Amino acid sequence: MLIRKWKQKAIEFSRIERIEAELLKQVPVCCEFDEGSSAAARLFPSPTGASDRDLLRDWDEFVRPELRHLFVSAKKTVQEDLGSLKMKVGHLGRFLVPLEHAERWLNALNQARLVLAAKFEFSEAELSAFEPPKTFSQRELVLHQINFYAAIQERIIEILTASDEKTR
Amino acid sequence: MPETAVETKTEEQLATPWNVVVHNDPVNLMSYVTMVFQKVFGYSRDRATRHMLEVHHLGRSIVWTGAREQAELYVQQLHGHLLQATLERSEGC
Repeated sequence: MLIRKWKQKAIEFSRIERIEAELLKQVPVCCEFDEGSSAAARLFPSPTGASDRDLLRDWDEFVRPELRHLFVSAKKTVQEDLGSLKMKVGHLGRFLVPLEHAERWLNALNQARLVLAAKFEFSEAELSAFEPPKTFSQRELVLHQINFYAAIQERIIEILTASDEKTR
Repeated sequence: MPETAVETKTEEQLATPWNVVVHNDPVNLMSYVTMVFQKVFGYSRDRATRHMLEVHHLGRSIVWTGAREQAELYVQQLHGHLLQATLERSEGC
């Protein structure tokens, strides 16, 4: 996948592989969270470390609905932009994000990352260890895919080993 | 008398400087945090980077100090960018 500025008015996502398209289309879905979850707490943190009841009440009443509207609006923009990403068999995908949508994309991507990190309880060390790829090539993604399959194999082996030990 | 008490509290709140504090967060990218500081506070890239590094290394940074109402607005804007920010009374006041 290649991401670059296009004619000073958009960001072009091109040479999109099918798997990348799927991951991109997952962004709005990943923003979803349950009320009362750790993800909700992360998206709507307290504005104060102290127990300032008046501030907390006002915040819940006036600020949170605005923040919620902002987050939903960013998610919708991303969803709409992704609507023009059509994958055809044997072809790589392409779509444009108008520059004025860039901040909403950053917001939605951040929501997705925060929600996933909260849902899957990633530690700071785990998140810090990850080094983003310098390029977004198919090879880099396949490496992630291989590691993903390896992790599943490890887990199956772990489960099999544990049940073997129990039967001994 | 209760009216006087309310008025006094309001004056005190207005007079006391408040800090806007940004807390460390392993998810938000350093470049993103710097960009948000520039956008929200109008800081130069150098100043925004200094605050970002303070957050990263020390766990928090006081990014702005001033009137409570404005501080609340900044915290709201920072939350809108999904940064962890809080409002606290400035020490020594």
